[in-house]
Amino acid sequence: MMPLAVAHGARSALIPMLAALLGIIIFLVDTLTPLDMAVAVLYVAVVMLLADVLTRRGILAVGALCIGLTTISFFAVHNVRFELEAVARAIVALSAIGIVTLLSLRNRHSSESLRDQAALLDLTHDAILVRDASDTLLYWNRGAEELYGWTADEAVGRNTAELLRTGFPISREAAAVELERHGRWEGELRHTRKDGARVTVASRWSLRRDAQGRPLAVMETNNDITERKASQDRLDKAQAELVHVTHMATLGQLTASIAHEVNQPLAAVVTNGEACLRWLRRPSPDVGEALASVERMIANGRRAGEVVARMRALSRRQADRQETVDLSQLVRESLALVERELTRHHIAVELDLADALPVVTGDRVQLQQIVINLAVNAVQAMEGAPRPRRLKLRTRALEWAEGEAARLDITDSGVGADTEAMSRLFEPFYTSKPDAMGLGLSISRYLVEAHGGVIEATLNSDRGMTFAVILPAAKEQSL
Amino acid sequence: MRHAQMVAIIDDDEQVRTATASLVRSLGLATRTFASAEDFLLSPEQGVADCVITDVQMPGMSGVELQAALRAKGSRTPLIFITAFPEDRIRRQVTLAGAVGFLAKPFDGQEMIACLDAALAGA
Repeated sequence: MMPLAVAHGARSALIPMLAALLGIIIFLVDTLTPLDMAVAVLYVAVVMLLADVLTRRGILAVGALCIGLTTISFFAVHNVRFELEAVARAIVALSAIGIVTLLSLRNRHSSESLRDQAALLDLTHDAILVRDASDTLLYWNRGAEELYGWTADEAVGRNTAELLRTGFPISREAAAVELERHGRWEGELRHTRKDGARVTVASRWSLRRDAQGRPLAVMETNNDITERKASQDRLDKAQAELVHVTHMATLGQLTASIAHEVNQPLAAVVTNGEACLRWLRRPSPDVGEALASVERMIANGRRAGEVVARMRALSRRQADRQETVDLSQLVRESLALVERELTRHHIAVELDLADALPVVTGDRVQLQQIVINLAVNAVQAMEGAPRPRRLKLRTRALEWAEGEAARLDITDSGVGADTEAMSRLFEPFYTSKPDAMGLGLSISRYLVEAHGGVIEATLNSDRGMTFAVILPAAKEQSL
Repeated sequence: MRHAQMVAIIDDDEQVRTATASLVRSLGLATRTFASAEDFLLSPEQGVADCVITDVQMPGMSGVELQAALRAKGSRTPLIFITAFPEDRIRRQVTLAGAVGFLAKPFDGQEMIACLDAALAGA
């Protein structure tokens, strides 16, 4: 048998009792008193009272019962003498009961489908919230309760941005403009949970408008990506460390190889020298052995020189990978490689890149290394500096003594440097930072000079400093 | 008269080998030179050398492996190591295994002589 009631609990037990009592009173008054009124119309109250707690079949049963009771009362009071007025009253009452029963059935149907839809929204793991045009929360699903910790009762009616302390990727206004223009917005947001923990969510907004096209409500679907972000950050950090370690390992191998190559002839020189002295200091000096030792010293000194010459030739050959490079284009490529670093340190990048620069020739990777080193140096200089932290990169064509040239200025708003630091900036292993190697700027200067250019640093008038790189234009410009 | 004590010198670098031999001979000692640890192990001098001066890094068998091979044979010939790239790890390893000296190239003549004195004192 189908259930007749849908809800249970103290309130739902009280309502049927009230309805039953009301039904009995109406029946008694209608049957036993000689009132010339359509008392039976009041049965609609019984149906309406029960409409919320009964199933559709239950509503139908109650409606039929009320109609039955009305009919019984009519025949009991009026027997078989049908007065026109009485019949009319009975018909009004029966119609009213019938109409209310049918309306209740329809209402029950639509509220059931609404409930089903809302239950579906509760099934999803995403946090779904609906807020009106003034950012007041209207709906808060179970996913939102689980993600943020507030129950729907606690959240509905609150201001969304205040409750969640929303952090926007660019700004709240930018998101609002996009939403207004396209009807939707998506991006990463930072929210605060009830327990105070910060979470990162991938958020999608859809705007619902009224008939006049005015914003009515926004549905926001938020997907928790905190863990994914954290592991991505860990991965990035590990990669950066790996690059650093590889760099150090390469440096270490290079040092070992240079040490070995140079130390062999040096060892021969020193040992021959020592041997020579011993041969000469013997009670009867052995001039033949001493002379042979000196000759070997000379030969090994020359050999050490050759080792150094070979290494220089090796580094020259590597610098020989020449191609033409547009400095503005190079800046864009290089910045793409340090983008994460810039974002992570909340640095606003300002580009002022000239279009028709004279091209320079050189090794693209080495030239990129210059821009990256200077950008990273600027980021480090702005670490701990007050915001806004600005990194400005500007390229310009330039005439200098050797002809045409291209110039790059990299300006930061960092802590700058004192007089002593300014004079030693480009020295290898000179650094003001405890965890840095102090090689970035010296390598940059080495690379700039290897490309026939110059690099200089100046303090800005307000704060921070500017590094200027000037590279000569390619001689045979095929334009 | 007693025979001059003999020092075997093993280094893949001919110049270092010759210079070291000259220094050792200037002390009145006899020398034999070898371009590799394998050459030394296969030679008749292997059993009669009073001391061995060997490079650490060499193509083929390294100085460290030579030390292990000699010890495995029960040889008690003292060893002096010379290297162009001194590493503490290797210094500790060979010293623990009984090396008399571990010198970085270019080494100091006086230090080498002190090591030789120590190595040959017991012979």
